[in-house]
Amino acid sequence: MSSNHSASASEHQGKRHKVEGPQKHVVAYIFSLVLTLLAFATVIAGEVNTAFTYILLVFMAMLQVYIQMAFWMHMKDRGHIYAIIGILMGTFVVLTIVVMAEYWTWW
Amino acid sequence: MSAHSHVDGQLPHEPEKATLEGRNKVLGFWLFLGGETVLFGTLFGAYLTLRHQVGDGNPTSQELFDLTLVAIATFILLTSSLTSVFAIQAMHKNQVKAMLNWLIVTVLLGLGFLILEIYEFLHYLHLGHGFTTSAFSSSFYTLVGFHGAHVAFGIFWITLLIIQVFKRGLNTTTAPKVYVAGLYWHFIDVVWVFIFTVVYLMGKVG
Repeated sequence: MSSNHSASASEHQGKRHKVEGPQKHVVAYIFSLVLTLLAFATVIAGEVNTAFTYILLVFMAMLQVYIQMAFWMHMKDRGHIYAIIGILMGTFVVLTIVVMAEYWTWW
Repeated sequence: MSAHSHVDGQLPHEPEKATLEGRNKVLGFWLFLGGETVLFGTLFGAYLTLRHQVGDGNPTSQELFDLTLVAIATFILLTSSLTSVFAIQAMHKNQVKAMLNWLIVTVLLGLGFLILEIYEFLHYLHLGHGFTTSAFSSSFYTLVGFHGAHVAFGIFWITLLIIQVFKRGLNTTTAPKVYVAGLYWHFIDVVWVFIFTVVYLMGKVG
């Protein structure tokens, strides 16, 4: 068991990796800034009806969170299956709580 | 293999995953973040339930929230996420000085965010929006304050890591700590994205 782990570590260390540059992270940052500005502009303009504004805001938030998790937290990379499972399980519980809070509490 | 077998200048490309301990630390931290997701979920659930329970004569979210302040705070936190990415990239290139510099910038931006949040809370207190004013105010301060406490802890944690790396150098023991602190900082930013969307922007819409 321990020899397997040692072998895995050695293999990991022995690989020559290509060091990624900052470009894609800067692009992700600019994209996040644009999404944030759009969200604030939508609310400040106040031209769209409330229900559609809510949907638009949540969509832009989800998109921004995807960028953060996929690129900056490396969830799109290999070896992150447990990370994805952990976050998805947390998200499932959160959605249940939020739906319950929003639709059941004041019935 | 000893966790300390790599000396500065001879680190592997991803030193945070070079040892079993490091890999387990990262995996365990992801599970912790899953738990944090649930924790913040319950606070969001409470806020969504109570956000219209303002009481008579108390300020509503539409009267209260200052979007300019929130926009500045969002910009600061988003930028700090990018600087923490740069810190991890510098770590992967074994550029310890650059990594420490980017971590210091991240801490300073976090402090800036925290100062803005404290200012915002004091401003709301002057407007008569205290913690016990209404169910809305209690849930608001609990959710946003809890996030602020996470930012404060993150600043404290990263500052300690900066001191540790400065003293002991970057090795396969300190690298996983820096990596998970980076994950924690991104998670704080992810939670803030939902806070400015659900609490501030939706609160302003009504």
